[in-house]
Amino acid sequence: MKSQIYVLIILILPLCNDIVNGQPKLSIDMGVGFYEPTLTGFNENQTVQFPTKKFTNTNLLLNWGLYYEFFNNARIGYNSFTSYALGKSITLINSEAVFRRSLSYRIFPIETFFRWKPNMELNFTLAPIWGRGRIELDTTPGDKTDDWNYFINSFGGSPDPVSDMGATDVMKTDWFGYSSMLGFRYYVNSRIGVDVKGGFMNNSYKEENWRIQRQKVTGPKMKIDDLPIFSIKVVYGIR
Amino acid sequence: MIKLAETKGIKAVPLKDMRKLKKLMKACERDGGKDQIKKLYVNDWNRDYKKARRMASWTSTHAMCVFVSFGYYFVGKVLATTPSS
Repeated sequence: MKSQIYVLIILILPLCNDIVNGQPKLSIDMGVGFYEPTLTGFNENQTVQFPTKKFTNTNLLLNWGLYYEFFNNARIGYNSFTSYALGKSITLINSEAVFRRSLSYRIFPIETFFRWKPNMELNFTLAPIWGRGRIELDTTPGDKTDDWNYFINSFGGSPDPVSDMGATDVMKTDWFGYSSMLGFRYYVNSRIGVDVKGGFMNNSYKEENWRIQRQKVTGPKMKIDDLPIFSIKVVYGIR
Repeated sequence: MIKLAETKGIKAVPLKDMRKLKKLMKACERDGGKDQIKKLYVNDWNRDYKKARRMASWTSTHAMCVFVSFGYYFVGKVLATTPSS
């Protein structure tokens, strides 16, 4: 659903373009990023069979951002790179769980740039990162069904109507980091540009810092520090 | 507002007044000022380009910091060796 919304926005954006405008002060962008983390806790897990490592669930990042040009040669903004993984039947002790994992790198960039031609730009980005890891499991705990049946039975009707119920719980972690990127932007017209960036990011992730329902737990081992990152995105100037 | 857009550029108009400016421009176009408005946009584009051709003030320092950290990281990736135990 989320990706369908992105596609819809991308399709609608060119229609919003009216006449030739000045280069934008406020812009949004959407695109993809690529990186190569080592997700040991998932890929080499001997107990739980996580989804097979693929390019789409490991190396691909969905990217969107919002920028405001506050100076002739500088803009600040928010940028989010997110990697998603989905597994439909992860075998646990009591249930076949649905597993969802997202790693979000929320970046707050300060970007400086210059144009060597009217529609070509070189940009330099330095940014702090507030990262978030999120693991969601849909399980089917038996005692939950019993409790609901007990509750519903108190109203009368056929006994024990519920045979199967799911519960969703989330474990999360946060970390900080920083990123540095060099980029090239080509303005197709005054509103739409294509931006290609390359750089690195450093994240201070610690597996001991996960939490689930306010309880501290140990999460998966992941090596997400010291990572080269590349991105390509379409920039649309709002005004 | 159009005067401000003409002299300092469309981007000099505060975001909160942009809707008003758009309405004024449309009214101006209807009254026969189509070429003037077109020129306003072209001038704005050229003004932006001229201003952003070279880095100004602190932005070059920022760019240099980015370039140095970028270089340090990637040169380190190529040249760094793993310390032996």
